[in-house]
Amino acid sequence: MSQQEPAAMRIDPPKRAFWRNLSMVWLVPIVALAVSLGIAWQTYAARGVQIEITFQNASGVTPGETTIRYRDVVIGTVEDVHFTPDLAQVVVKASIDRAVAETLPEDAQFWVVQPEVSARGITGLSTVLSGVYIEASFPPGEASEVRRFTGADAPPLMRAGQEGTRITLRTRDANRISEGAPILFRGIEVGQIEAPRLILSGDSVVFDAFIEAPHDRRLTTATRFWDTSGFNVSLGATGLSLNVGNLAALVTGGIAFDTVFSNGEPLNPGYVFDLFPDEQTARQSLFRGVAANAVEIAVEFDGSVNGLTTGAAVRFRGLRVGEVRAIGAVLSDDSGARDVRLRTTLAIDPQALGLPDGAGAEETLAFLEEAVADGMRARLATSSLFTAALIVELAELPDAAPATLERPEDSLAIMPSVYSELPDFTATAEGVLERINALPVEDLLNQAITLMASVEAVVSSEGTRQAPDAALALIEDIRGLVGGEDTQALPGELREGLAELRAVVEELRLRGAIDRLASVLDSADTIAANTATASADFPALVQDMQTLVDRAQGVEIEELAAAATRLLDSTEELVGSDQMRELPPALAGALAEVQQVLAALREGEAVENVNRTLASTRSAADSVAQAMESLPALSARLDRLVTQADSLIASYGARSDFNAEALDVMREFRATARAVTQLARTIERNPNSLLIGR
Amino acid sequence: MSGPVPQQIPPALTARAAGLVACESCGRVHRDGIAQCQRCGATLHSRRPGSLQKVWAWLFAGIVVYIPANIYPMLLTTSFGRTTENTIIGGVIELIDYGSFGVALIVFVASVLIPVGKFIAIGYLALVVRPGARIGRGSGLRGRQHLYEVVEFIGRWSMIDVFVVAILAALVQLDFAATISPGIAAVSFSLSVAFTMLAAQSFDPRLIWDAEEGTAP
Repeated sequence: MSQQEPAAMRIDPPKRAFWRNLSMVWLVPIVALAVSLGIAWQTYAARGVQIEITFQNASGVTPGETTIRYRDVVIGTVEDVHFTPDLAQVVVKASIDRAVAETLPEDAQFWVVQPEVSARGITGLSTVLSGVYIEASFPPGEASEVRRFTGADAPPLMRAGQEGTRITLRTRDANRISEGAPILFRGIEVGQIEAPRLILSGDSVVFDAFIEAPHDRRLTTATRFWDTSGFNVSLGATGLSLNVGNLAALVTGGIAFDTVFSNGEPLNPGYVFDLFPDEQTARQSLFRGVAANAVEIAVEFDGSVNGLTTGAAVRFRGLRVGEVRAIGAVLSDDSGARDVRLRTTLAIDPQALGLPDGAGAEETLAFLEEAVADGMRARLATSSLFTAALIVELAELPDAAPATLERPEDSLAIMPSVYSELPDFTATAEGVLERINALPVEDLLNQAITLMASVEAVVSSEGTRQAPDAALALIEDIRGLVGGEDTQALPGELREGLAELRAVVEELRLRGAIDRLASVLDSADTIAANTATASADFPALVQDMQTLVDRAQGVEIEELAAAATRLLDSTEELVGSDQMRELPPALAGALAEVQQVLAALREGEAVENVNRTLASTRSAADSVAQAMESLPALSARLDRLVTQADSLIASYGARSDFNAEALDVMREFRATARAVTQLARTIERNPNSLLIGR
Repeated sequence: MSGPVPQQIPPALTARAAGLVACESCGRVHRDGIAQCQRCGATLHSRRPGSLQKVWAWLFAGIVVYIPANIYPMLLTTSFGRTTENTIIGGVIELIDYGSFGVALIVFVASVLIPVGKFIAIGYLALVVRPGARIGRGSGLRGRQHLYEVVEFIGRWSMIDVFVVAILAALVQLDFAATISPGIAAVSFSLSVAFTMLAAQSFDPRLIWDAEEGTAP
């Protein structure tokens, strides 16, 4: 029924290309892969070059942490530390930067840097925190394929690439020299020495030293090295000398050098320097250094050559021009009698005499011949004050007896000598000491001590101490007197009183008193004159004192000083007492007041009057006193009279005129009597009132 | 994984067999052949095109970057001038040396077991859902679904190591005394985790059940 349909057509979808199906997401793993590979490559490229360093020990070296540095920049890391198969050494495997490894030469040096504290300072301090590191040192540029190196135990003396000169020094023993000790040039460190080592024969020690450029330019055959280790005390012909080197050199030992003369030659390879024990020896060796062309001459000295030794200097005008080579005796029979003469051989350096460099024996002798003709003579001289060591001096004595430089064929030329007065130092010193001894020091001292004791006794006595107190009290009293109101009022009152007194005096007619006053004044004059005479003796006294003081000078100092100290103490105590201190102000006050009073007195012209009348006053007062003695009697008589009168009046009767008048008279009498009594009492109570009118 | 029940369930009618397609965003059912969801506008796929391909690509990228993550140091600890580098495994070993077994276990599980497990799980799923695959054919479909869910859930947790490194690097910056900074491995590892998470996301779980029908997409 249904029409047959053709078979369903098979339709394939178009075949899509494989890559079209690919998702963009695939880019992610591709990029990730690329990046990962890139990182891996980078790591591989930066991995560095493996090297091996062999150390005796590798203290502190840790794989993965210890770095390898070149000029303090990290160039690699230690990767592994293991032993050599025989366990004798440690092999450190490290990887270092490829760039550095390409320039790593065969002789590169490696050493472990550790903190180190030594006399010369602290090094490697940074390794305390960060741990040790391995320092590399090599001159870059000479590449090699060597990847195994031997590490050093200590930093090398000479860093690779460092410029300088390596020298060899020779010394008898290395007591004071240790490895790494500094080499100093005028106190500046310019190099170091390596460990000393014995030479094969064992009779001396040699060591290498490295002197940095540019200081190595100073090295010539004229260079001398000497030991500056520790300090050096020497008592020699030139007196006492003390040399202390640099502090590091004091501990580790040190070597100093200098070029002691200028015409040294450049060093040949293998040149060995001698190490001198001290600077002086080194500098003096200058002569020995050029002794090759030294000229020997002989001198015959008269008298003893005691003190002259081989090696003693030969000086010309103070400059060292040679040395004594030998001292010996020769027999001479020139004048028939056999005679022992002391012949000293001198070696003279022509250059030191100023002759040209190439001067030989002939020129030198010719020069000396000429000089001798002009008066050059050899003579002995002391080299210093304290020693008996002698040197030979080539003195120029134009007025010396004529002589020539003898030049025998078979022996050395003989220079004429003169006898020299060598001061006998010992004798002189003895004489001085003897004279000192003879001084009468002890007597002087005893006297001085006695004097000091006396002075001390006086000063420290109670009386002396109390003197200020007494003086002060006195001054206080005076001041009280002067400052009193009464005294102040004195001048004015005196004037009044004087006027009155004058009248009294006139009345009393006591002029003779003034004459007496004058005589008193005369005697005072005499006393004053006597005093003046006494004063005239004073300079003599002073002189005596001076003598005493002179004696006191130079006495035994200690006792004198002690006594003086005690004296001073006492004086100080005295002076320092409060009373003494108060004294001056009190005196001043008192004086001021006295002055005031005196001024007032002068103003009132009272002085003259006083002068004139004081004596009178006294006499008047005496008379008054005398009178006063009789006053009570008068009073009594008056009383009696009044009583009698009373009784008389009573007998006349009370009412008469006479009676009245008599009564009046009696009253007046009584009043008079009373007044006289009152006066008498007043004078008795206060005699001053007579003077001052009160 | 497979219980006794699923074996007895007869093959169900799938949406694709019925000519229907569900929107993955909003769930609306459309007739087959419609390109866009009429409700939310999302592109409609009965099966995501190139799903497996993307899975493989992400998975491959994840594995590639996982290699440097294990070779290169994760942590750079600088203390007093000394720099210590720690890889993931090295850190685990160090922790064990110090006796911190618990922490070592956590780091090991989060940084090694989980990522590696994920690679294996995703790879296995991608293999078995391949049309015509012979591996584990028709068996344990629910188990596969479970595996997929676990992989998707656990993916973010393997970032735990990266978090630790990020926090340490941010906190420990004491200059000379101690400084911690992340290494190359930290970046690689986080990339690896991200890639595997993307791989898991690219996987279309509906493919699991296609095996039941034996039909090609």
